[in-house]
Amino acid sequence: MNKLEIRNVSFIYGKGTPFERRALDDVSVSFESGKITGLIGHTGSGKSTLVNLLNGLYKPHGGEVLLDGVSIWDKPSEISKIRYRVGLVMQYPEYQLFDETVRGDIGFAPRNQGLSESEISERVAEAAKFTGITDEMLDKSPFELSGGQKRRVAIAGILAMKPDVLVLDEPAAGLDPRGRREILGGLSEYVKQSGITLILVSHSMEDMAYYCDNVVVMSDSKIYKAGTVDEIFSSAEELEKIGLDVPVISKIAARLKADGFNLDGKLYTVEGVKDAIIKYLGGSGR
Amino acid sequence: MENCIIKNENLSFVYDDEGTSVSAVSAVIPPALDDVTVSIKKGEYIAVLGHNGSGKSTFAKLLNMILKPINGRVYIDGKDITCEEFTEDEMFEVRSKVGMVFQNPDNQLVATVVEEDVAFGPENLGLPRAEIRKRVDEALDVVGMAEYANHAPHKLSGGQKQRVAIAGIIAMKPKVIIFDESTAMLDPLGRREVLEIMEKLNREDNITVINITHYMEEAARADRVLIINDGKLLLDGSPREIFSKVDFLHSIGLESPQGTELLFELSSLGYDVPTDAISEDECYDALKTLLGKGGKLA
Amino acid sequence: MISDITLGQFFPGNSPIHKLDPRTKLLLTVAFIVAVFLANSPLAFFSLFLAVLTLVLASQISFKVILKGIKPIIYVLIFTALINIFMTRGEGEPLISFYIIKIYKEGIIRAFFMAFRVILLIIGTSVLLTYTTSPISLTDGIESLLSPLKKIGVPVHVFAMMMTIALRFIPTLIEETEKIMNAQKSRGADFSSGSLIKRAKALIPLLIPLFVSSFKRADELAIAMECRCYRGDKNRTKLVKLSYKPKDFLWFAFGILFISLMIALRIIPQHISGSISEELFNFLFFKI
Repeated sequence: MNKLEIRNVSFIYGKGTPFERRALDDVSVSFESGKITGLIGHTGSGKSTLVNLLNGLYKPHGGEVLLDGVSIWDKPSEISKIRYRVGLVMQYPEYQLFDETVRGDIGFAPRNQGLSESEISERVAEAAKFTGITDEMLDKSPFELSGGQKRRVAIAGILAMKPDVLVLDEPAAGLDPRGRREILGGLSEYVKQSGITLILVSHSMEDMAYYCDNVVVMSDSKIYKAGTVDEIFSSAEELEKIGLDVPVISKIAARLKADGFNLDGKLYTVEGVKDAIIKYLGGSGR
Repeated sequence: MENCIIKNENLSFVYDDEGTSVSAVSAVIPPALDDVTVSIKKGEYIAVLGHNGSGKSTFAKLLNMILKPINGRVYIDGKDITCEEFTEDEMFEVRSKVGMVFQNPDNQLVATVVEEDVAFGPENLGLPRAEIRKRVDEALDVVGMAEYANHAPHKLSGGQKQRVAIAGIIAMKPKVIIFDESTAMLDPLGRREVLEIMEKLNREDNITVINITHYMEEAARADRVLIINDGKLLLDGSPREIFSKVDFLHSIGLESPQGTELLFELSSLGYDVPTDAISEDECYDALKTLLGKGGKLA
Repeated sequence: MISDITLGQFFPGNSPIHKLDPRTKLLLTVAFIVAVFLANSPLAFFSLFLAVLTLVLASQISFKVILKGIKPIIYVLIFTALINIFMTRGEGEPLISFYIIKIYKEGIIRAFFMAFRVILLIIGTSVLLTYTTSPISLTDGIESLLSPLKKIGVPVHVFAMMMTIALRFIPTLIEETEKIMNAQKSRGADFSSGSLIKRAKALIPLLIPLFVSSFKRADELAIAMECRCYRGDKNRTKLVKLSYKPKDFLWFAFGILFISLMIALRIIPQHISGSISEELFNFLFFKI
């Protein structure tokens, strides 16, 4: 069963003013549980708008956002409860930190949820574990931490709500390769253990190819293509047609295939291409 | 020495609690920059790689006197900018020679109109009006933002804002431009635009470009790559030399371009492939040869 | 969305008023404000009305926009007018007498002129300044007009720079506020319900991040400005140099003429102007 589904959703900025701009046009898509779905597209393709619709920050002008088959706007007064179930981590989330201690900041949402103190500290501990926040860091002020650490605290603050669906907008933006790996690796581990639905927005095709199970491609306020990561990255030309990059490794693999080398496998990660080459050469290496 | 636009000797720097420089090397706080010696030739295109907090931004700020080193010497265009007698006027001359573009495009635009922002630097240099006008128009032309001259900066995209910021630096006619993670907050399109301008300035106007980044694919396009880790200059060489050290880069939390990584993996499994290919074409050629040979083991 | 708010009320255009030097407009505005407060006779108000009408026509700003500008203060106007009507005691018989409420002719006259004065003041200043002058040229104008104060040590340039930067960053901060609000809403923060104290407390998660990021911005901007050789107004030139044109002097002449007229109307012996007012007023409101 798909936890989160979007049906015929439209959204228009500045509706009713001379500055109207359609950001989403009759968009339908669903996100599988226990999987990581990547959302890619140009700036202005509508993906940020879509993200803001998922937890009810924006209300669609047409269509429905369904969580477990029920529209999230069924009871508008209870939209904040929806926000606990669909956790949203915005771009550069470190700017939202405010509490005196890291512990307090991660506990902000659970406290708003009205949980008991013991439940809150349990949630904080668990969220800290997945984001690699040490006990020592928990008692520090969030403003003493490094950029990458702040980022992880902000993500932990959403994980602590124990959402059914987790949406992250460019969680690794501006981080170095190690920082990227730590955050994205931690999240994919979390999905494996908790079975939640994870939606990842990113411009990095390499990260998408490596971490995602499914990919949704947006272009021009519409869904351009949706499918498994295999399906999406095996048709590199189509992505390039709408001006999106593909991982360098899949470009190389595509050129080799075009030369008649019959490579087969996950031709969008370094590992995948390596395996395919070894298989093609008929050996396990040594 | 004559054609070195920048020359550092044993450069060290330490931040104190408030983030300013301290007067003496402290045992408690690790130095942000530790004994760095490097010379940069006029017209070179350099990439500085290192993970967040490695000291690469500190390095940049020492080159135009935003920070003062606690140890070591910095020569800009043959002049020792670290000597005691350096005057304020000379300091501003250095800053006009060594321009700097930062990460967040929003936090470096001063004026409410694009062309007035570009004029900010030349205005500070006290240039005559006609000269400012000429420089502003030329600079906006170079970055392809001439048609936005009268727009408000906050209405532009990230990439466009960053191009305006670059124009503001170009208008000071610098000899060196340091890009301090200037592409980090941009989308792929904006990043490509900024990178193209960077390379055009280097190629056509012979401006020395120092691109501080953690995108490997950007560094791979430079003439020379410096790797800074924990305040130390670890590697200094051509992209080819640097990126073929895949193992070493991993050990300090960095990566090589995907193609190079693949060749490295294959080579360590015993396949006969070069490990110093870095561009897409080179990697493709190497793999094609390998597959064509039927994978003869080395 | 808050980010849709347009900054200030500037309407770009090419009218004669738009093209005036901002300093001219600032000085004319001062003269106009003085004139409005000098006016105390129907004749003076009539002249003011004509002056404002000329300005509006010359600025090519639509009447719709002008009326919209008055809308926000309409209740204040009605309130002050009512107070004037009820509280003013006249000499003759009251026009209306109802229990303790007595309305005199003088009260009505006063209420009318008070409202008229405020309306003219708002229309005049907004047409001369806010509607037709971009914030940046306004800042330039103020800096230039105040520059004589530099001699006595007033940091005029610093004020002007602060104003420019504030104008530059207002839209950025509005955007940021919206972003942080959304981020905290996503963590269950509630900004719109509960008691006053609860709501004030709910602002903490918004205000602290806003302060932190503003300080960071200020820090980064300061470094970026230093990198662009900023050193105050020492040795500084400007891309746009304000310069008076013949038409500025023409408008100055109008201004001087107008203010002299207003002064003349003011010092004409009270009984003459008084009787003219009364007749004009009677003519306008009671004879028709």
